[in-house]
Amino acid sequence: MLTGWREFDETLRTLGMLQRHFRPLATWPPTNVLETKTSFVVRSEVPGLAEADVSVSVEDDVLVIRGERKVAVPEGYKAHLRERQAYAFTRKLPLPARVEADAVAATLKDGVLTVTLPKAKEALPRQVAIKAG
Amino acid sequence: MSIAVTEKNGISRAGAYQRRTAAPPVDVFENADELLIVADVPGVPNDGIDLRVENGTLTLTARHADGKEEFPALVREYDEVDFRATFRIPAGVDTSAIAAETKNGTLIVHLPKAAALKARKIVVRSND
Repeated sequence: MLTGWREFDETLRTLGMLQRHFRPLATWPPTNVLETKTSFVVRSEVPGLAEADVSVSVEDDVLVIRGERKVAVPEGYKAHLRERQAYAFTRKLPLPARVEADAVAATLKDGVLTVTLPKAKEALPRQVAIKAG
Repeated sequence: MSIAVTEKNGISRAGAYQRRTAAPPVDVFENADELLIVADVPGVPNDGIDLRVENGTLTLTARHADGKEEFPALVREYDEVDFRATFRIPAGVDTSAIAAETKNGTLIVHLPKAAALKARKIVVRSND
């Protein structure tokens, strides 16, 4: 039923989606890791997930993010177009420096999970005072 | 009844930092009363959504709040993008009653069908 509605722009749209949305299941969710002077920030795009759908833990300096996104046809509706993918994931991210496991914080807002991991004090850069000798 | 999806990729200029614009993944559902569009727009706050109806076309623009994306990254699997999509609204939708809500980074748009188009039983009178 939908094929009659496709226009030429559909090719460009699909290519854009291939780039961004159709990824191997093992790489969901798309995740960025940034490093500031004092912490690591891990950010994942998980649209549709609420706090109950995702869990974050630190195990021996490995950040483990687990979750599941269900995408169901709502009760009583029929589907014309399904582009949003369902997936379950366990992402393990080893972190290059030691982190303060007790101070790790995670927030979920507008479908983006942000985990902030403060670096352990030993891992922070330290100034060494130079004494005249 | 169905809905056509048209889109053009472009460059959006958000302040000093230029974010690319991409099409969001979209689901389209239908029941007896409405068409339902669900789009993934992660990272966009409710006030970043611009949804308008004009001449039978529904245009969605979803923009992140202005702000520089931090560099450098140890791992970068995605770029923050702004989202844009256009839909041709089929005849039979009551455009004045279109409503939408955001939830956890997804946008849900309800397009109610005009009463005239809902399936209706017609009473057949007898003229005997």
